[in-house]
Amino acid sequence: MEIHEDQILTGEEGEILQEIMNIAFGKSAADLADVIDTHVVLSIPFIKIMQVTELPVYIRDHVKDYKKISIVEQNFWGRFKGDALLIFSSGSGKELIAMLQHGQVEMSSFESDPIDILERETLMEVGNILIGACVGKLAELLKDVVTYTPPMVVVERYYTDALSGKQFDADKTAIVLKTDFSFTEGNVSGFLFLVTSNDSIKWLKDALRIFIEQYE
Amino acid sequence: MIKKLLIVDDSPIARKMLKSCLPKDQGFEFYEACDGKDGVEKYLNLRPDITFMDLTMPVMTGYEAIEEIMKHDKNALIIVVTADVQMKAITTVLDLGAYMVLRKPLKKEDLLAAIMKAQDTLQKVQ
Repeated sequence: MEIHEDQILTGEEGEILQEIMNIAFGKSAADLADVIDTHVVLSIPFIKIMQVTELPVYIRDHVKDYKKISIVEQNFWGRFKGDALLIFSSGSGKELIAMLQHGQVEMSSFESDPIDILERETLMEVGNILIGACVGKLAELLKDVVTYTPPMVVVERYYTDALSGKQFDADKTAIVLKTDFSFTEGNVSGFLFLVTSNDSIKWLKDALRIFIEQYE
Repeated sequence: MIKKLLIVDDSPIARKMLKSCLPKDQGFEFYEACDGKDGVEKYLNLRPDITFMDLTMPVMTGYEAIEEIMKHDKNALIIVVTADVQMKAITTVLDLGAYMVLRKPLKKEDLLAAIMKAQDTLQKVQ
């Protein structure tokens, strides 16, 4: 199935979306840095439009250098709707636990939990902050309001296993917004993918035009 | 009097947004650079009154560009315009010699206030 012209963003629309993503991920990094004493090093966001069926291969190409990965996934929906996948490199969960403890964040509720539950809870919390702030800011800038499903977490799996359960609708087009990040303290890095389908594209094109009109 | 403004940002949209926030009747001359390296080169050639600098850019980051510009001109007025509003990013650029930090998306009133403050500073230096 081919991608129709009306499902493609123009060069300028792509640049506007990239800048909005840049602002949104900057906000989420700052929110996380308030909780964990670290500096999140941000990359330039990247936008790509593809068939949804190409998505697993695209994601695997980005994470294949990691021995194992952990994933925090949340669906969001408003006028802008889709799937947020926050993918961490191997060992990130345990690193984040250590960083939270050094930052003297209240960990007492976790003390009796086994390490895998603690790791899951930590990844979920960090994922919730990063995804929520990023998607929330993106929606705010585009005058939308989104709600979220609770985060789902996959901890320390080989990337082929971690992604194998995902179901993608073959008829849909995906707009993939990718940002990679790393922390200056602790060996934590990964990618944030926001995947929105062609259901949102018409609205998105209008929202981007309205956004940039403020600056005409 | 502030006249020459250099905007260093890899995003053409971000450069356009910044320019649109400034009044058209002030006779500003705009110059643009698409990464830190281009920004340093244009700074050295043009000696702008104010340089607006993004941080996350290809080829040379804004951090590196600020450091390089300050090596050549300790009085350079560099206003960082960034989406990276983490406290560590802000303190780092101020330590490197940036004049101030404005967060994206820019608000007209913040930008105008920054330019007026820079104008005062420039008059004191001169």
